[in-house]
Amino acid sequence: MSGGRDVWTGPLQSIPADPLAATWAAIDEVLDPEIPISLVELGLIYGVELDDGVVTVQLTFTATACPCMEFIHEDIEDRLALEPWVDRVEIVEVWDPPWTNERITAEGRAKLKEFGVGV
Amino acid sequence: MSDAINVDALSDGGRAALERLILSLADSKRLMGIRYSDWILGSPSVETGIATSSMTQDEWGHARLLYAMLKQLDIDPVPIEHDRTAEAYANLSALDEPFEDWAALVASMVIVDGALSVALDAFSEGAFAPARQRVPKMLAEERFHVSLGVAWFRRLAAASEEARALLRAATDRQLPAALVWLAADDESSRELVELGVMPPPESLTTAFRASVRDVLAEGDADVNAYFDAAGPASDWDSTRGRAPGQPDADSVDRARGAKNRALFVE
Repeated sequence: MSGGRDVWTGPLQSIPADPLAATWAAIDEVLDPEIPISLVELGLIYGVELDDGVVTVQLTFTATACPCMEFIHEDIEDRLALEPWVDRVEIVEVWDPPWTNERITAEGRAKLKEFGVGV
Repeated sequence: MSDAINVDALSDGGRAALERLILSLADSKRLMGIRYSDWILGSPSVETGIATSSMTQDEWGHARLLYAMLKQLDIDPVPIEHDRTAEAYANLSALDEPFEDWAALVASMVIVDGALSVALDAFSEGAFAPARQRVPKMLAEERFHVSLGVAWFRRLAAASEEARALLRAATDRQLPAALVWLAADDESSRELVELGVMPPPESLTTAFRASVRDVLAEGDADVNAYFDAAGPASDWDSTRGRAPGQPDADSVDRARGAKNRALFVE
C-alpha cells in the first residue's frame, strides 16, 4: 500500500511526553512509494516543527521530477492526521541542500542492502 | 555572493525583468523536455531511449520548479503554464521546432541544454534567493545530460560523413540561437545585472564558450566564428526576452496539456 500504510502503527492513544519526537517517529513510518525504506531513512525530511497542533514538514525529493511527489505529500499528511496532537500538516518543499544518496541513513542503507540495492 | 534582493522592494522594471528571465528559462526547459520526449522511442538504442526519457523527466521537473518561482513575484504559475498561447512563449528559439534527426538532438544536449545550464548556474549565484536554493539540484541533474551529450557528440563526430554533416547542420542552426539568447543586452538584462541577479552577458558567453569549446571543436562547424561574432541581435524581442518566432502549435498544446484539460488536477 502507498507509503507503507499496512505497517503504520498509529494512532497513539494519548499525547506523548515528547510530541515532536513522536511526530518524527510517525513520519518515519511513511515509506517511499518506490523503495521499501522510510522517508526519514531516505533523507528526504529536512526538518519537522510542531507548533500548537500544526506540524510543518520540510520535505525534499530525490529528483526534481519525482513522479511520486503527490503520493508522498498525501502519505505524510494521512499518517500524521492519525495522531491526536496533530490538527494540521503543512509541507514545505525544499531543495537546499540538494538531495544526494549520501543523505540516506545507515539504517536505510542496511535495509537497501538487504533488498540487493547498493548505494 | 551578494546579499539577496528584497523582491517586495523591486521596481516595476526589476520585477518585469525577473519575470522575463524566469519565464524564458522555464519555457525553454519545458520545450527542451518535449524535444527530448520526441526521441524516447526513436533513439539509436533502447538504452539511449531510456536515458532520453530520464532527461525528459528532468527537464519537466526543472520547468516545474522554475514556474513555481513566479509565486515569489505574486504571479500564479498555473495559467502561465496552461493558458498561454505559442506567441507568448519565451523559450530559446532553437527549441521552436522539433529536431529532425538524432544528430540535432545530440547537438541540443551540448549546445541548447548547455547554454541553459550556463544561465542557470549564473542565476544560482546571483541575488535571487529562490534560485540559490532550487537551481543547484537542477544543475546536479544536468551533469548527466552533459555527459551523455558530450559522449554522443564525440561518437557522431567520429562516425560517417553523413553523421558529421548532420551534426554540422545542427550546430550551425543551434549555436547562433544559443549565443543570441545568452548575449541579450537590453534594458531588462541590464536591470538584472544592476540587481546582481545575473552577470553581464559577456560573462555568460565566455562561460558557455569555455564549457563547450573542446567538444564542439570535434565537429566540422566553424564554432570560433560564431563565438567571435556573439553579441546582441538587432531583431531581439525585448518583451519576451528571446529572438523572434514562436514554438510550433502542437508542442505548445502538449506543453499546456491541452488535450487533457478537462482532466486537469492541480
